[in-house]
Amino acid sequence: MTGTTLVGTGRLVRLILRRDRVRLPLWVAGLIGLMAVSASQVQALYDTPAKIIGYTSTMRDNPALVIFAGPGYGFDDPGVGVILVNETSLWMALGCALMSVFLVNRHTRAEEESERADLLRSTVVGRHATISAALIVALMANVVVTASTTVLTTAVGYGFAGSLALCGSFGMVGVAFAAVTAVAAQLASTGRAALGLGAALAGLAFIARGIGDISTSWLAWLSWSSPFGWAIGVRAFAGERWWAIALLAAFSLAVTAAAFELSVRRDLGSGMLTQRAGPARAPRWSTTPLGLAFRLQRGALLGWTVGVFVTAAVYGSVGNQIEQMLEDNPQLKDYFAALQGASITDVYLSTALRMMAMLVMGFSLSSVLRNRSEETAGYAESMLATATSRWWWVGSHLVVTVAGTVVVLAASGLGVGLGYALVIGDAAQVPRMLGASLALLPALLVVIGLAVLLFGWLPRATVAVWGALAAVVVIGIFGDVLRLPGWVRDLSPLQHVPALPARPWQTLPIAVLGAAAVVLTAAGLVGFRRRDLTGA
Amino acid sequence: MGADAAVRCEALIKTFGPTRALDGLDLDVRVGEVHGFLGPNGAGKTVTMRILLGLLRGDGGRATLLGGDPWADAVALHRRLAYVPGDTNLWPNLTGGEIIDLLGNLRGGLDETRRAELIDRFDLDPRKKARAYSKGNRQKVALVAALASRAELLILDEPTAGLDPLMEAVFQDCVADARAEGRTTLLSSHILAEVEKVCDRVTIIRKGRTVRSGSLEELRVLARTTISVQVAHDGMEIAGWPGVFDVRRDGVRVSFEVDQPAVGAVVERLAALGIVALESHPPTLEELFLRQYDAELAEAGVHQ
Repeated sequence: MTGTTLVGTGRLVRLILRRDRVRLPLWVAGLIGLMAVSASQVQALYDTPAKIIGYTSTMRDNPALVIFAGPGYGFDDPGVGVILVNETSLWMALGCALMSVFLVNRHTRAEEESERADLLRSTVVGRHATISAALIVALMANVVVTASTTVLTTAVGYGFAGSLALCGSFGMVGVAFAAVTAVAAQLASTGRAALGLGAALAGLAFIARGIGDISTSWLAWLSWSSPFGWAIGVRAFAGERWWAIALLAAFSLAVTAAAFELSVRRDLGSGMLTQRAGPARAPRWSTTPLGLAFRLQRGALLGWTVGVFVTAAVYGSVGNQIEQMLEDNPQLKDYFAALQGASITDVYLSTALRMMAMLVMGFSLSSVLRNRSEETAGYAESMLATATSRWWWVGSHLVVTVAGTVVVLAASGLGVGLGYALVIGDAAQVPRMLGASLALLPALLVVIGLAVLLFGWLPRATVAVWGALAAVVVIGIFGDVLRLPGWVRDLSPLQHVPALPARPWQTLPIAVLGAAAVVLTAAGLVGFRRRDLTGA
Repeated sequence: MGADAAVRCEALIKTFGPTRALDGLDLDVRVGEVHGFLGPNGAGKTVTMRILLGLLRGDGGRATLLGGDPWADAVALHRRLAYVPGDTNLWPNLTGGEIIDLLGNLRGGLDETRRAELIDRFDLDPRKKARAYSKGNRQKVALVAALASRAELLILDEPTAGLDPLMEAVFQDCVADARAEGRTTLLSSHILAEVEKVCDRVTIIRKGRTVRSGSLEELRVLARTTISVQVAHDGMEIAGWPGVFDVRRDGVRVSFEVDQPAVGAVVERLAALGIVALESHPPTLEELFLRQYDAELAEAGVHQ
């Protein structure tokens, strides 16, 4: 690697900052805001030693909570700082990681698919400049998040060293996944595949850390196989182990070097896996709008189905440990009994199904946005210039989105159900969890409907529907910590679905959500029928 | 609506925010002809075509296509036409052959014999994924899909951009074949030699308005003939004659342009001067085209 391969990096950094002048500040401000509000709310909620002990004794050694929050370092001699770590660390790390995955893919592999990349490469731009520029911007974004959250957390009253360790750890996870995505961008043959690979690796690392932390057996090593485990291993507010941050930094550098090395071994626009010749004729079924929509989305659908099923099976298979925990900890039993009036296991299972539904919503949105990406890529123009009506064209993709959502949601229910059924030896759990998962469908349809509405009337704002997913996630995961008022929580359609299996079935909210989804979708379709096709 | 009009636009208007892309455009394409649609970049050729396809909605004026309304009757009309977009974007993970089948089937069927013949003539590898095609090859995929259809109207937006000269010749043959079969073609292009070769009539537009329309013969009457002459003596007095412009000395010769109606009188007066050698050529489409854009050319600093 000589100096000339980096020529032009500075100019590309400015270009990325200019192109992402709205998107990136939204991510950064969102992450900073989430952390700042969490820090002050945790401070206000746990203002006495008794309350702090109350929290840690509820949380400690409970596998259901450990898997979503962390092993609880420092719970033996707790301060309010360790509660903050438990509540925010992993989720902030996941947020930083996803910000980096989207950012780096968008400016490396996805960008190569446009002809702009060739144009840029033909100017005075070194071979490594594109990757370097994307990584530098990702580093900048994560540094800004780290610095701002450290300052704000310290300002709220937490110790400086602990704040720096906490905020530095999630920032470094963001940097690590920027590097991982740079490698994914070299391996995958399309931008979409690179994005999927980067996000899947982040998800896998997130789950691996969880399994490792609840395992007392040979799987415990998984905690240290994952950047998320290293971030937790920094032990902020519990005798900081700074070398864990150094480990993240070293990992990032090594992976970056690998990305540089891989990038010179392939041609612009191709993946490491070369393309083989394909069929000269199309099968009859794929030459209809519906057949094409299925054909275009089947790879993503398969990937999501498998990924969600595996993740769900992991969550289901720890269900039995919650029962065991009940035997040992009557205090915990009382806590859940008072809180939910349902069995602790069922509360856990319904929580797991909701978390999974948020993941499934990721599939639903990326699928429903396919209409818009087909339009901006110019494929819609070719389709609609044939004897394909606008209804038929949008409808075909929508059928795939809705059917795909049912499939992935079913995979979630089957995964949780099978995982749980296997560990407790009760096959009846499979249909029970499947049903509970599918009951969440109307909530997902509402968000799909919102995307269709935007697509019909404000096509250039269609991607803003990711904001709706962010809101659903923040309300679902941070609703309690942030003490969000009821009306804000009511904005999330997931809040209106009865929490099966912990709560009984209710027809009315499900019917209302279903009706809302139909109205939103129909309104969006009417808008699309009336408007011009537009570019990006 | 006369049965002889395949496409008719009257005072068509389309605005995008503050930009007026079409400003009262007129276009008249007769059934069975090959109609050239000319204009500089941004003149509104693509916008017009996209309105004719019902992809955009006109804001004023009228557009009629094969006797129907391009917006309201889009699906029925699209069964009878085939379109090749200017920027051919193809699904990167489908092969060329699959895309030809897909578009053909969505238009209501392909002529199998013609499909095979066109793939052969255009020398296209139908087993390659679209992402591996060059721009010219992507263009060929779209052209084969359109030409292999049984459509009675072909709407082609700069279809030869990216094709090599050999393939351009194949394309011109194909358009001639389509004409012989009685199909109508609306062809937008920058390549004037191509338009001159294949088109019966042309429409020249500028800034969203039609500036000239007619057969090439009709348009030539409006332009000037170039004459290069060697006479017995110096000959520069020609500069003073009516209908003569742009007189230049060119070695022993004098070159100048003559308004079409003045040609006869000028030739008579030249004869009186004693012609040693004379060469004349009628206006090319290029000259015709450039004359419509004198103002833009001056702005761009180009001197004719």
